[in-house]
Amino acid sequence: MIRFEHVSKSYGGTLVLDDLSFEIAPGQLAVLIGPSGCGKTTTLKTINRLIETDKGDIYVNGRSIARLNKVELRCSIGYVIQQIGLFPHMTVEQNICVVPKLLKYSKERCQKITHEMLELVKMPYEEYAHKYPNQLSGGQQQRIGVLRALAASPPIVLMDEPFGALDPMTRLVLQEEVRRLQQKLNKTIVFVTHDMDEALTMADTVIFMEKGRIVQMASPDEMLRNPASDLICSFMGKRSLNNQHLPQTVADIMRDKVVTVTKDHGVRASVELMSRKNIDTLILTNADGSYAGVVSVDRIKRSGKGYKTVEPLMNRGYPFSYEDEDGQVAFDKLIDGGVNYVVVLRRDRTVAGIVTKTSMARSMAEAVWGNGE
Amino acid sequence: MSWSMVMEHLFMVLLAVLFTIALGVPLGVCAYCFKPLRRVVLWSVEILQTIPAMALLGIIMVFLGAGKATVVIGLLLYALMPVVQNTCLGLTEVDPGVREVARGMGMMRFYRLLHVEMPIAIPYIFTGIRIAVVISVGVAVFATFVGGGGIGRAIYQAIRVHDVPTIISSTFTLMLMAIGLDTVMALAEKRLYSRFSPAEK
Amino acid sequence: MTDFLEIYGRQIAQAAGTHLYYVLLSVAIAFAVSLTLGILLSRAPRWANIILPLLSLFQTVPGIVFIGLLFLAIGIVPATIIIALAIYAIFPILKNTYVGIIEVDESYREAAKGCGMSALQALIRVELPLALPAIISGLRMSLVYTVSWAVLAAMIGLGGLGDLIFAGISSNNNALILAGALPAALMAILCSLGIDLLRGILIPRPLRRDVL
Repeated sequence: MIRFEHVSKSYGGTLVLDDLSFEIAPGQLAVLIGPSGCGKTTTLKTINRLIETDKGDIYVNGRSIARLNKVELRCSIGYVIQQIGLFPHMTVEQNICVVPKLLKYSKERCQKITHEMLELVKMPYEEYAHKYPNQLSGGQQQRIGVLRALAASPPIVLMDEPFGALDPMTRLVLQEEVRRLQQKLNKTIVFVTHDMDEALTMADTVIFMEKGRIVQMASPDEMLRNPASDLICSFMGKRSLNNQHLPQTVADIMRDKVVTVTKDHGVRASVELMSRKNIDTLILTNADGSYAGVVSVDRIKRSGKGYKTVEPLMNRGYPFSYEDEDGQVAFDKLIDGGVNYVVVLRRDRTVAGIVTKTSMARSMAEAVWGNGE
Repeated sequence: MSWSMVMEHLFMVLLAVLFTIALGVPLGVCAYCFKPLRRVVLWSVEILQTIPAMALLGIIMVFLGAGKATVVIGLLLYALMPVVQNTCLGLTEVDPGVREVARGMGMMRFYRLLHVEMPIAIPYIFTGIRIAVVISVGVAVFATFVGGGGIGRAIYQAIRVHDVPTIISSTFTLMLMAIGLDTVMALAEKRLYSRFSPAEK
Repeated sequence: MTDFLEIYGRQIAQAAGTHLYYVLLSVAIAFAVSLTLGILLSRAPRWANIILPLLSLFQTVPGIVFIGLLFLAIGIVPATIIIALAIYAIFPILKNTYVGIIEVDESYREAAKGCGMSALQALIRVELPLALPAIISGLRMSLVYTVSWAVLAAMIGLGGLGDLIFAGISSNNNALILAGALPAALMAILCSLGIDLLRGILIPRPLRRDVL
């Protein structure tokens, strides 16, 4: 699908891409990762020719992109950036339809695309299509950013640290969502990040770069098992095998920094807090600090009108487990429940943290390879 | 153009700007402190600046007659907007966190205004004053039509006697005056900051 | 009051008409010229450090200078006042167009490029709409100042509301001064309100940021 052949690029004497050759198969999600200045973003931007190469060829679908018209090339490749870059003067619908419009699709077709796209991320058309970006939370904005890239159904999507500016919880949800969309729509995605967790969660293939070269290109499994260099090890945060602490209880696999508010928190204040912290879900407690339930921004947006506090909107049935329970309990709830996280409580029912797939993977990996300290 | 015209011009401008500051900064503070007043004050000063300068001077002349007083008051009203607006803007731009901390430390409203909010707003106020100065230099050209003299008189006379070199040199004088005053203000601003800057501590 | 209107009503209406004609025509010319120039200049953002101070400098030239010089060059014809006012009105719009465009956040430009927009498409669909608030406030400045300087058309015998003001001043007739000054003030305020209206139509509500 995408093939680099001996690609080099230098800026004023410094080589940023050094004789790069690799291939990404169709339908794969490839993650470019490495320390700052390793050339990962440059690599990404050469694919839609935002950056021109000095030497070598890049083939997309077997055709050398140097011979393609730049504008046509970019219309056929979706592009998502960290700053989101939604046009502030356009509504959600207009933003999604930027590329279809450039391709001169009919009005009806554009509208249909918007419907389909918003459907994909479960944002109701009537509610969101005519909003402006600054009326959305950070997570919602980047969802639209992704939809904009997908709108003209390009076979390839490039993502440049798309979730870098989002809070951890929203980030997790969006990672899942992008993964789901990618598999459902069978896209080839090239994804740049500096977050190894993100790479390991999302990638089919991880491409680790350093100083403009590829150090290792492998599946997440393979990279975890046989990291090719010390730098990769330290990136994964594990170096030694002599750490004997295996995760046993839920507390071992949870993340303990979470945002909670009391359930009599105002609806508007909650929405404001979520948009400020860039998260989609709040954990609610009773007045005495004990766990009460969770509330999602979607739920508030859908049916929050007329309520003063978030209590009536609260979901009491969300999966939770206790911190001293066996880790497997939370694991099962997380995987079988099809949820994005499991709330973790202390025995006095105060909130201790949450378990996410990433937090679980991280603690397991730490147990296997140590945490490098 | 004579030296006395230049001095006359400068005199009117400086006097007017002094009055503008004396009136504009308190007005801006009032607009900030009393929310119901804000709209009225900001709207009034905007209207004042919208009125054509010559019309404004004409209207004032009806009450005060021809002379420098008319010009100075006209300039004062005309240049009020940037000072009032920027004072109010600067105060509203103070980081809510800073404001909360100040309140949390138990500062009273007036003390807070004087010691926390005003110092933070100073750069905005300075910008407002600089704009007021540049506007005043230009508008003071109209003074000649209401008996105030200044460089406008030189230009007007030059136009009547077809004296292009004088028109040009008068224009340059005006530009120089605007830039000169603006630069002086910029330097003054810098000195003011350096007195507060952490580097000196 | 009625007496006054009987005597001066026609004269005021006529003067106001001439005044408005000068203002609108010259601002229209200035707008077309400065929008084009602003776009062209914005293609060279690297020169901003030279271009911007230069534009600010020209903004300090009083309108009377342009009127005077053109009067000496082409004499007492309406073109004198229209061209002079147009030249004066160019600078605020030009500066705001230029600043508005070059201050468009780089991420929007990159997003536009990444979406496959050509340079022209990015200009029309992204850069200009984002610069629009700045352009409109430049337009307001030009319009209001032009109403102000158009009073000086009377100085070289070309009519307008200045006629009444100057006649009033030289004959010490306060009523006559007000007959010119009040309609001029009203015209400027109405022009300003007109721009507000235009802004309301052209800029979607969530993007209007009233700072105060």
